[in-house]
Amino acid sequence: MWTWFYKLASPPSVYAAAGALAPWFLATAAVAIVYGLVDGLVFAPPDYQQGDAFRIVYVHAPSAWMSLFSYTSMALAGAIALVWRIKIGHAVAAASAPIGASFTLLALVTGSLWGKPMWGTYWAWDPRLTSELILLFLYFGVMSLRSAFEDPARGDRAAALLGIVGLVNVPIIHFSVTWWNSLHQGATVAKIGKPAMSLSMLWPLLAMLLGFMLFYGAVLCMRLQGEVLNRERQAKWVREAIKS
Amino acid sequence: MSAAFWSMGGYARYVWPCMALAGVVLAWNLWSARAYRDAARQRARRALAMSPGETA
Repeated sequence: MWTWFYKLASPPSVYAAAGALAPWFLATAAVAIVYGLVDGLVFAPPDYQQGDAFRIVYVHAPSAWMSLFSYTSMALAGAIALVWRIKIGHAVAAASAPIGASFTLLALVTGSLWGKPMWGTYWAWDPRLTSELILLFLYFGVMSLRSAFEDPARGDRAAALLGIVGLVNVPIIHFSVTWWNSLHQGATVAKIGKPAMSLSMLWPLLAMLLGFMLFYGAVLCMRLQGEVLNRERQAKWVREAIKS
Repeated sequence: MSAAFWSMGGYARYVWPCMALAGVVLAWNLWSARAYRDAARQRARRALAMSPGETA
């Protein structure tokens, strides 16, 4: 089983799989995002308290979810690379970081734009907002640390370690609205039992989440191909791969 | 589309910039990932051209 796993995680296999998967991920992401946006902006009813301002949720919540998903993927890939010495893990972590950082920035800015009409301010040092801002700094830290070393292998290891340490922030972000008094609303979709949202509002949100996940998959595959080539450019298989 | 849709119940100045920013972030991700991959391919081609017999 381990032989199969190591073979699957070999750079040529990953490069080929990423190239094959990226267009499919991208096409299905486009369908899900277009459906989610049309249904969410045109057909979903306005919220009884927030009116049409609630429609910001269709880009804010998926980007916030993806900021956490992307960070967790990055940290786990780094951990796999450190523990099992599977080098492709470092490539996955390096590819994931800029995507996650961009989703985190999007979540912060859209949250700020949503906060102004609802809370009366663009920013508050609220537990959820502050921990999400720390996540953005963690992404910047991981990316800077990776490129701060002359030896790329040392940079990979240092970035993986910081990524793993920073993973502690992920449950803090998720549970911040229940652990502390927060301006931010509590869980609505990921609520145990029943989501506190009508289905006509929920479906487009789930479509947007799926679309953002598939989009992350597509962009990760493209970046991963670049990472693998940068790390393996002298390898024999690269000659064949870049001809095709 | 009706004016009511574009006005978003008076919240247009918050809703539409969020949608536009999301579009910009998605487009940037797509563009930068493609550019990164293409640049890596170019570098790999150059490296192979400079050391045609090398294998690893």
